[in-house]
Amino acid sequence: MSVAAAYAARWLRLLKDEVFVLPARTVLLAVCAFLLLFPLISQEPFLLRVLILAAIFAIFAASWDLLSGFTGQINFGHALFFGVAVYTSALLNRNVGLPPWATIPLGAAAAVLAGLLVGLPCLRLRGTYLAFATLAFPLILLGVVYALPRFTQGELGINDGIDPLAGSRVASYYIAIPSMMVLGFIMWKITDSKIGLIFHAIREDEVTARASGINTTRYKLLAFCLSGLFAGIAGGLYVHFLKSASPSTLQLLLSFQAIIWAVFGGMATIYGPMAGVLILYPLTEYVLIRYLAEFSEEFAQRKLLIFACIVLLVLLFMPRGLITWLRDKTEKICPRCKLQNVAWRQKCRVCTAELAR
Amino acid sequence: MKWLIRGATLLLVASLILTALGCAGEEAKQIKVGVIGPMEFQMGKHHWMGATLAADEINEAGGIQVGDETYKIKLVKVDSNELLSPTDATSAAEKAITVDKVDILMGTIRSEAALAVQEVAMDSQTIFMVCGSSETKMSDKVAEDYERYKYWFRVTPFNNTYLGQMNFTLVGMVAQKVGTQLLKAPKLAVLAEKASWTEAIVGAAQAILPTKGIQVVGVWQPSAEATNVSAELTAIKDSGANMIMTALSGTVGIAYGRTWGEMKIPAASVGINVMAQADSFVDNTGGFGNYEMTLNVYARDVDLTEKTAAFMDAFIDEMGETPTYNAGTYDALYILKAAIERADSLEQDDIVAELEKTDYVGTGGRFVFSAKHDVTWGPGYVTGVGVQWQDGELKGVWPPADGSWPVGGPSVTYEGIVPYQLPPWVIDYWT
Repeated sequence: MSVAAAYAARWLRLLKDEVFVLPARTVLLAVCAFLLLFPLISQEPFLLRVLILAAIFAIFAASWDLLSGFTGQINFGHALFFGVAVYTSALLNRNVGLPPWATIPLGAAAAVLAGLLVGLPCLRLRGTYLAFATLAFPLILLGVVYALPRFTQGELGINDGIDPLAGSRVASYYIAIPSMMVLGFIMWKITDSKIGLIFHAIREDEVTARASGINTTRYKLLAFCLSGLFAGIAGGLYVHFLKSASPSTLQLLLSFQAIIWAVFGGMATIYGPMAGVLILYPLTEYVLIRYLAEFSEEFAQRKLLIFACIVLLVLLFMPRGLITWLRDKTEKICPRCKLQNVAWRQKCRVCTAELAR
Repeated sequence: MKWLIRGATLLLVASLILTALGCAGEEAKQIKVGVIGPMEFQMGKHHWMGATLAADEINEAGGIQVGDETYKIKLVKVDSNELLSPTDATSAAEKAITVDKVDILMGTIRSEAALAVQEVAMDSQTIFMVCGSSETKMSDKVAEDYERYKYWFRVTPFNNTYLGQMNFTLVGMVAQKVGTQLLKAPKLAVLAEKASWTEAIVGAAQAILPTKGIQVVGVWQPSAEATNVSAELTAIKDSGANMIMTALSGTVGIAYGRTWGEMKIPAASVGINVMAQADSFVDNTGGFGNYEMTLNVYARDVDLTEKTAAFMDAFIDEMGETPTYNAGTYDALYILKAAIERADSLEQDDIVAELEKTDYVGTGGRFVFSAKHDVTWGPGYVTGVGVQWQDGELKGVWPPADGSWPVGGPSVTYEGIVPYQLPPWVIDYWT
């Protein structure tokens, strides 16, 4: 058997044993394949635009979940990281002439720095006090943006001289979608690692975590920086895709949207907020506008109201989020080996322990 | 049974073919015009109503003639949601261009969104006629990179520079009144919201007005959304100012009007207050907005041209309120119709070439575009109108009925203009 065939067989076995055994993983694989192959089905610029923005916001929402969902450090000003990266990337690109592949990481680095700057003073605070303190930071930066109009173009934003993400819409799509998948996977791996376990511990009981010898301040600061890094990458992608850096990227609406997406999908999962964006954003920006408009123009104009109703209904019946609810309905955890099994199995797929009905 | 199924199938196919043929026969050729604005808000509603009135009239009159073909105007409502999220405006513009396949875009209000929509429209070389933002940066781009930005035109309002000029003209008129009626030297306080569009006006006021004998005692800059300006107005009162020049576009204009009247600030108010252009201003200020003066594009009883009254009546019939400058979509559509018919083509470049030659008398005045594709302001062109709240009604007070404007040229005034009045509490305080 050739090496290629051996690899193929190994991958197939992996798919069979690790992916197809759980509906959630199967659906995830199908969604990834669908998104990667989508331009073969349609290259409608507006549809690709909606999917690119959905991918960027999915990274952004997941980065909020990494900080607030996992460590419990509720951040009401997450747009700060996004906005810092947006303006850093735009200014470096427009004024210094650096290309997007350099300005996006540099924008993310600036967002990490912002995470550090916010984290240091805010870590003295907890709960509601922390949430409201974080709320203030993007508003402060917004004030700086307005106060330096010669540099930042003030309220008008920077609308010209920013290089595009790629030469064509399809090329931009193939940057944004794989970025979302890779960064989502990295975030998920972080939360699945020892660091993620410590993040969990901090959220559940910080005093106990500290009593166990964990330097919780360092880990919380790490969470702020990591969250800033991923939100920053999203901000960099956003500014080069839209070729526009506007003060709206620092406004409360964006911070709250990240929270709504995360809560809708399911907090402390990474994939929940990403799925939340991938469902809600195209739904409100494309399906409602395009198809509902044909049915009723007035109805389509109420997209924010419809958005709010959908979120409220989901949270009413699925208080832990849509994806978490679906996962709980389709999967159960083995009491002995803690592995996930499909809900209709009676015995664990690995240790054959009896699964609770 | 077989014959029944065959018969039904035949009937179905025949009806489908007939329907298809019928539809094809009925469908007139269309020019799609996307009207983009915040459709949930008054501005967007005025965009839409202005365009709807014009489209209905043009279509009823036969449509637009291009060669041997007659085209009807099909309006597409494009909700930009720009007051809440400027990003939504670019998405909406792109959807209109790529999905709805609009031939022309017109509208927008918020400068941040209008600048972003301008880029989207220029990317696809789609004509974009602004009817809402006065930001000069948009027209500067036409001068900087003509080939890219030539598809952009501004119909209403006139740009920031012209707004500043008109503002100073109104200030001059009120300063003259202060001098003759109060026998005082004009002392002016500038109250401008903290925004990009007011920067040039504030700078020019400080540089130019003192040379005209008007002392500028200070500049106060509240936020555009401020709900309380009593501190600023108390400071203005203490400064000894007998005039206030406003540059307000946000809701602060309502807070200002209410506090100015309630505190009886002894300074005549003149300038730009977009909130005072709305019919609901006096109600919104609890009745304290009387004597507030602002520049405007339309005034209810002022006939700027012979077309104004009919448009005004039709608009008020439909909306129950006086049109704002966002309803400039009405004139924009007629300007577009004329340009397409002159070009005898639907090619964007051909239409642009004819739009540049526009010399059209509309409801707001005579429209001629500058080299930067900005509507020209001044005597003989679009002038706007100064309006003042008098006894709960918005009256046109400028260009003055005495023919004193412009100085040194043929005078300009309109039917329906009434004299400007100083607020009685200002007269009582200073005399």
